[in-house]
Amino acid sequence: MLGLKATMTIIDNSGALLAECVNVLKRKTGHGLATVGDEIVVVVQKARPVSAVASQSATALKIRRGDVRRAVVVRTKKEVIRPDGRKIRFDDNAAVLINTKKELLATRINGVVSADLRMKGWGKIASIAPKVM
Amino acid sequence: VKVEIDSFSGHKIYPSRGRIFVRGDSKIFRFSKPKHESMFKQRKNPRVIAWTQVYRRQHKKGVADQVQKKKTRKTVKSQRGYAGLSLADLAAKKAESPAARLAAREAAINKAKQEKKAAATKDGKPKAARPAGQASGPKVSKQQMKNAPGKGGR
Repeated sequence: MLGLKATMTIIDNSGALLAECVNVLKRKTGHGLATVGDEIVVVVQKARPVSAVASQSATALKIRRGDVRRAVVVRTKKEVIRPDGRKIRFDDNAAVLINTKKELLATRINGVVSADLRMKGWGKIASIAPKVM
Repeated sequence: VKVEIDSFSGHKIYPSRGRIFVRGDSKIFRFSKPKHESMFKQRKNPRVIAWTQVYRRQHKKGVADQVQKKKTRKTVKSQRGYAGLSLADLAAKKAESPAARLAAREAAINKAKQEKKAAATKDGKPKAARPAGQASGPKVSKQQMKNAPGKGGR
């Protein structure tokens, strides 16, 4: 249940560490809440310093503080109900960065992701993740 | 259908019941009731909460009713014959009485002595090559030597 101003950790190796939700891309409303598998717009609040190599190159991924990017929610503290009736909740909120074409910006994910991603059509993220619950 | 067990109380959790909590270190905790989940959140130790299975097992509650089936392992000793002595011969030897055994032994001794005596008198000529320190004269049986006058037993 992530809405405006909700903070979450970014669990891929794009360079961003912490992000704040700015918009939930579900419907044209402004008061939507995002759950696992929803696309959101985030502002990067904390990022790892861009390496010297990356800052030289024009094509390398450069994520800096204050960047506005898109992300997919992969873990929520609010429980999600599965079709078989199970309810799963995680210890924190987490997301991974994507681009407007729904492609992952990063190459690796570390940590657990929710299996609901597959059901919402983010099978690629689920397959890269080291552990899917 | 897999029936899970509650991480706090040990109760059974049937499908579509309860909640699953995935902790930051990826450890999974299952709860069948909000009560158990609340206790867990309060960081209570199930070992001191009297209604949990952990506590009951620790304090051995309700175990006396269960019948403990003791499984005794009995080793069966089996007699086997071996090379040189079949099972039948083995049994026969076992069945011999001490007296019979003694008599058989005596007979065997006597028989051996007779055979030795016969062999000694047959080739009475001394064997050509004889290791030093042995008898210099003709091969003489112990009995003959014992009976020979003036000659100490060898």
